[in-house]
Amino acid sequence: MNEVQTDTTREQIHPRPDYGRVFLTFARNSLVRDMTFRSNFIIETISSLSWMFMNLGFYLLIFSYTNVIGVATGWTQYQFFVFFATVAIVNSLVQTFFMPNAQEFSEMIRTGNLDFALLKPIDTQFLISLQKVNWSGLGNTGFALLLLVFSLGKLYSEQAGFRIYPIQMILYPFYIVCGITILYSLMIALSATSVWLGRNQSLYNFWFYITNFSRYPMEIYGGPSGDARRWIGQSLKSFFSYCIPVLLAVNVPARLLAKPLDPNNLSLALYAVFGTVVSFSVSRMFFYRALRSYRSTGS
Amino acid sequence: MSQITWKDDRALLATLQGKIATWGTILRICIEERLVYRGDFALGTLMRFLPIVTQIFLWGSIFQNVAGKIAGYTYDNIIAYYLLTMVARAFSSMPGLASGIAGEIRDGSVKKYLIQPIDMIGFLLLNRVAHKLVYYGVAIGPFALVFFLCRSFFPSAPPMETIIAFSASLFMSFLLGFFLEAAIGLIGFWFLEVSSLLFVYMLFNFFFSGHMFPLDVLPYPWNYVFEAMPLQYLAYFPAAVWLGKIEGDQLISALWIEAAWILFFIVICRVAFRRGVRRYSGFGG
Amino acid sequence: MQSSLLGSRSLNSYNRAMETICIEGLRKTYRIYRKREGLKASIKGLFRREYRTVEAVRGIDLSVDQGEFVAFLGPNGAGKTTTLKLLSGVISPTSGTARVLGHIPWRRENAYRRRFALVMGQKNQLWWDLPAQESFRLHQQIYRIDPHDFATRRDELVDLLEVRQLLGQPVRELSLGERMKMELIAALLHSPEVLFLDEPTIGLDVVAQHNIQNFLRYYQQLKKISILLTSHYMKDVVALCNRVVIVAQGVIIHDGSLAGIVDRFSGHKVITLQFADHNLPHDLEKYGEIIEEQPPRIKLRVEKQNVTSSLGAILQRHPIEDVSVEDLPLEQVIAEMFSIARQGHPHELETSSTSDS
Repeated sequence: MNEVQTDTTREQIHPRPDYGRVFLTFARNSLVRDMTFRSNFIIETISSLSWMFMNLGFYLLIFSYTNVIGVATGWTQYQFFVFFATVAIVNSLVQTFFMPNAQEFSEMIRTGNLDFALLKPIDTQFLISLQKVNWSGLGNTGFALLLLVFSLGKLYSEQAGFRIYPIQMILYPFYIVCGITILYSLMIALSATSVWLGRNQSLYNFWFYITNFSRYPMEIYGGPSGDARRWIGQSLKSFFSYCIPVLLAVNVPARLLAKPLDPNNLSLALYAVFGTVVSFSVSRMFFYRALRSYRSTGS
Repeated sequence: MSQITWKDDRALLATLQGKIATWGTILRICIEERLVYRGDFALGTLMRFLPIVTQIFLWGSIFQNVAGKIAGYTYDNIIAYYLLTMVARAFSSMPGLASGIAGEIRDGSVKKYLIQPIDMIGFLLLNRVAHKLVYYGVAIGPFALVFFLCRSFFPSAPPMETIIAFSASLFMSFLLGFFLEAAIGLIGFWFLEVSSLLFVYMLFNFFFSGHMFPLDVLPYPWNYVFEAMPLQYLAYFPAAVWLGKIEGDQLISALWIEAAWILFFIVICRVAFRRGVRRYSGFGG
Repeated sequence: MQSSLLGSRSLNSYNRAMETICIEGLRKTYRIYRKREGLKASIKGLFRREYRTVEAVRGIDLSVDQGEFVAFLGPNGAGKTTTLKLLSGVISPTSGTARVLGHIPWRRENAYRRRFALVMGQKNQLWWDLPAQESFRLHQQIYRIDPHDFATRRDELVDLLEVRQLLGQPVRELSLGERMKMELIAALLHSPEVLFLDEPTIGLDVVAQHNIQNFLRYYQQLKKISILLTSHYMKDVVALCNRVVIVAQGVIIHDGSLAGIVDRFSGHKVITLQFADHNLPHDLEKYGEIIEEQPPRIKLRVEKQNVTSSLGAILQRHPIEDVSVEDLPLEQVIAEMFSIARQGHPHELETSSTSDS
């Protein structure tokens, strides 16, 4: 009896774990792990960086043939590089914090190791989504930040009337977080489908294909009137802005810095907040729905 | 004397028949195994075309400001190029091959090839053929649909010789892709953790095979550097052949060079496997 | 028993105080995709899938009191592990109820998850590439264990299991037995009141098995916690549990003491006869089955009700130097029980259904 009583009081004193500290421990443990496999870590950092250089090279190539993407879209070279840097920041942060976990999640469902996660007195989605940190992804974030600052500097010195206001500096990180949340929500929902599909490599890959749409300025989704591209592009743009808002994940923060005067910005920015909240809530519902169907195989 | 030779021949024929039957069974089992994962197949095939959609729009925007051609490519050419590299990749890409080999080496299940009278590379090749056959069976539908929808990017069919050379380059891209990736997987005999190496390979493959853009768009001397590497045969080369970028003697010699690369990687696989096994049994692992 | 003395209300509250686990009519059925043999069938499988229903647990009732150490025995696929997973809330049942410490496990309330632990011999929850102590620290934070309590308990457990010098080694470098000890420490750090152990000694050598058994016995008596254990090793069960629940084909076929099994399920006894010389008589088969023949000794398996009469007859007719009557060995009785259970029911109840999903 005594034992039970003390436990109840213990329960009342510590109603829930300190999520911040738990996350720090995850990050710390992952760093310790990454440092034990140092050569792997270095190779991964360098190869993700070279992936970014190759992409940058590709766009430099394109800008050697044209000075703007699309007609009167405002995406000249350095404005586009602001966009590209934003793509890299959002994606590298998703890769650092969520990608290893979403991948692992599918694997845990397949092997039955999800059992242990379900026993812990902590939010299961939190535990599943954040327990590993892939520190090598941060190399890209660093480089992307440098590119961002460099491109903004170029625009500031070469384009008349280009200014950065404090409000932009505050809103940019906010919308980066929104963008990450949108991409994460899609990712965790897709990897949760392995509960029903078993081996689900393809649905997880689906994430890469869908988010591929988010890597370009939304103005490209259109075409000359009379061409099929026009209505297909319009439909894609609407679908990936309003139904699955991946197009907003990068476009909203990037426009905020590169094209602050665009008249569409306000409505897009407002919708992005709404889209983030809805994406996250839907993915959370989906996640817990999947856990209920979990069968714990592979004993 | 002749009696004996005749007997030998018959015995040889019998073992050959036995071998063919064994390989046939393996092929059938592999096909069955692949068919089980139907959801993966249907979805996987459709999804592969999604990046093409963005390419169509991206290049559409770029060509709005460019009159005529970029490095000899019209807008139609560029899109046709991407579609054709999809066909080439359907032959040359080997998902999970190298990591599978490395994994089997790491967890010791490679031993089964040493105990059973099956050649590992041969078995994996058949497995891959089965995989591809089933894949084409399912993928032909989506491919036909996409090419029908995008027929305007292909103004006219190339001459017969080009189509033959294109088919040959596809078949060879399958072999090259297979032996190249198998060779990388066999590195697992020497380095237990090859995942980061594979990551690097995938990265370079995507870029240097011409999957991202036509290699001849690159400025001199980079276009020559990239075209000297075997990776270009996995995507760029078949597409360039179809589009008539490589013709005549140049085409013939390029096909011979591709054959030489295949032979080179077959030899590499053989040697690496033999040495790897020796090293492996040396561990007593 | 006591119920006649107590009113119904006080009976309920009495039960609630003592009863840790209460299961009623628990069932769990799965639907699995049935793969047919042959190429044609595989292609068919692309469009139409056949499923079969497997009843892993088919209605289990069980009540465990505080401080009991209960063993779950049964052949592979009997439903032992499924039951433990249901009780730890990893999966939800198809029907039936269960309460552990007053909680419904599959609601996965944090309040419940703080009070029990599950250890599985075939899976590990520690970070593979890190020293075990890092995983322990993570547990401290997830369970929000008071730093002082954490240090005391960890030191106590580490000393009991004698693994102090291994704390700093990456888990992947530990032996299976050492890893199991670390798993146990991780599971006990938050001082659970109920412990579920699924095959904790699987794959371990005799010494490691013995160590783990000793630890479990000591710890259970010290803390008076309730433990539910599944195991393949009779030795685990004999060493640890006073109560045995035998599950076969998803139902409980015995619940009671270990000795009770032999009384209840074995209709035979073993008579060992020692003759004066090596010439054994040839008519012994009529009394029972000969299990072992090593002149001058012979072992007979005789039906229980015939033991006295057979023994009398043999003693009268033959010169016997020594005689003993014993129960059948426990393993043998249980093996027999399982095979009877298996014959009694088809292995999987196949209610096949087709679906186009």
